[in-house]
Amino acid sequence: MKRKLSGGNAAFLAPMYLFTVVFLIGPFVYMLVLSFLTRAETWGVVNSFTLRNYRRILEPLYFNTFVESVKLAVLVTALVAALGYPFGYYMAKLPPKRRGTMLMLVMIPFYTSSLMRLYGWIIVLRANGLLDKLLMALHITSAPLKILYTYPAVAVGMVYALLPFMMLSVYSSVEKMDWALVEAARDMGATPARAFLTVTLPLTMPGLMTGVILTFVPSMGLFFVADILGGNKIVLVGSLIQEQLMKVHDQPFAAALSVIMMLMMTVMIWLYRRVTGSGEMEGVI
Amino acid sequence: MKKTLSLILVLTLCLTLFAGCGGSGKAESTAPAEDTQSAPAPDPSGGTLNIYTWAEMFDQDVLDGFEAETGIKINYTNFDYDETMLEKLEAAKGGDYDLVIADDYIIETVIAEGLAQKLDKSKIPNFGNINPVYQGQFYDPTDEYTVPYGAGVQTIAYDPAAVSVPVTGYADLWDESFRDSIAITANFRVMLGMALKVLGYSYNTNDLAQIDEAAELFYKLADNIRLIKDDNVQDDLISGEVSAAVMYTSQVTMAKLNKPELEVVYPKEGIGFGIMGMFVPSQAPNADAAHLFIDYILRPEISAKSFEYLGYYCTTKAADDLISEEFKDFLVLPAEFKAEDMEMIGNISPEAAAREEEIWIEFRNRCGQ
Repeated sequence: MKRKLSGGNAAFLAPMYLFTVVFLIGPFVYMLVLSFLTRAETWGVVNSFTLRNYRRILEPLYFNTFVESVKLAVLVTALVAALGYPFGYYMAKLPPKRRGTMLMLVMIPFYTSSLMRLYGWIIVLRANGLLDKLLMALHITSAPLKILYTYPAVAVGMVYALLPFMMLSVYSSVEKMDWALVEAARDMGATPARAFLTVTLPLTMPGLMTGVILTFVPSMGLFFVADILGGNKIVLVGSLIQEQLMKVHDQPFAAALSVIMMLMMTVMIWLYRRVTGSGEMEGVI
Repeated sequence: MKKTLSLILVLTLCLTLFAGCGGSGKAESTAPAEDTQSAPAPDPSGGTLNIYTWAEMFDQDVLDGFEAETGIKINYTNFDYDETMLEKLEAAKGGDYDLVIADDYIIETVIAEGLAQKLDKSKIPNFGNINPVYQGQFYDPTDEYTVPYGAGVQTIAYDPAAVSVPVTGYADLWDESFRDSIAITANFRVMLGMALKVLGYSYNTNDLAQIDEAAELFYKLADNIRLIKDDNVQDDLISGEVSAAVMYTSQVTMAKLNKPELEVVYPKEGIGFGIMGMFVPSQAPNADAAHLFIDYILRPEISAKSFEYLGYYCTTKAADDLISEEFKDFLVLPAEFKAEDMEMIGNISPEAAAREEEIWIEFRNRCGQ
């Protein structure tokens, strides 16, 4: 079907295109060009073409950072899916009134700055903090666990930050599911588990996959969680980019790292489309 | 309708999620605003002094005192990073600001680029009050451009109740009893510098073989590192999360004020130190006011007040005796201190710097394992 833009429509669309060009395409092209330039001896960038920045990413030191970031992102995404799917599922099955309350309860903490909430986790996790006091009072442990500034602390922080994305996208998927189909499966003798696996799960797959994308993609870049809860000891691609920009001042290398990271995200979204067979993200777009 | 609701909710989520990114570098800083007033307009009456430095460098009373005494209005603009300052100053071609306070290594670049002007010492009668230990350093060997305003050293602070070995220098931090209990700052030059110092090398070596040798030693420290951070690292020493920390003077000051039983060690291998310097940009609109201000700060009583507020080493010799007892221990160099035990951390060759950056990433990876 061919649609023709009337003058009025074009006027409405122009700001959107302008916005896209100025704030999305422009910066991206700038970054792409920058990633092929050479870093100046002391300060800034020299206009000479090089592939060095991309070759450098293949060095074990930086390549491993990518591998480690992906590993952490996979772990976080798996945990978020394991916790968020059942939550979103039951939230959608609540009576409408309770559902609204539940949604609000999930959302309210997220109106506070994420940094504030991370500092909250420090209070919980630190030596002789709330968690230690609780565990010791219950005689589960006898000495403070050193959880803060470890890998598990970073995983907890990321799961906490990203969980609502999974809950909400699963929720929106389950909510509009046709329950008659599940009843039909049960009528034909399917066990609840089988009905879930063959009917509910495939029907809610788009929601689950949207949650996976919304969790996996940011968890590659949430370097401030790794810095604050991991004591700067876990280097993620996000931290690498930030450091190259702010401390080392190697802008071309930072740009190259960002380009590679964006390519990875693009592949993820392409995979998402392949898996769900749909072009839009459930509950989001 | 419901879809719209969830869309709005998700968008809000995204916003709050990334709201943390921007501020994480200086998360705890109470700086009111960064670079709010770029390029202040020069005042034709000559009655304004444009100071450009980090937030909270002066006690408000000190600034008010200068304004009341001279009638010159102070316009204080702040930056977060030395590099931001250099960029602004380059853009302004050495104009816009009358007085800048920044770190030693960046001042070397500022002077090399011709962005600073020579001080007119006839307008600074108090110039002689400066502690000579902090003069004649690499960034301004003949003291023509700068007046030091505070110095920081990296010392080891530890909680004697939590430490079982005597600590006299950096080498002791490698002891097994410190496993998973040391905090360090995130400056790789200083931290790898500890290993260089233990091996008897210079902080500023450009010899890659020496750097690699230091790296091997440095990696062995990874098991003992609990935490790496620049801001408020003293909090973790105060709360007992770590039992020892290598940190800057201002942080040691904060730690000692909150937990007086902490011990502070001048590492026997020698100390790296950094100096903050005041300089007047080459095209400063009101250089006279800047000279007046420098002279005002160099008065012993004003210096003492400023350094107690700032928490850095007092660089005004004449003010040493005025620093109150509470602060004396950590703001005035001990009598037995020898200038040759200190080495400034200066700029190194790009190859050496690149190697040290990579060692730093590898070191952190090993800390996290």
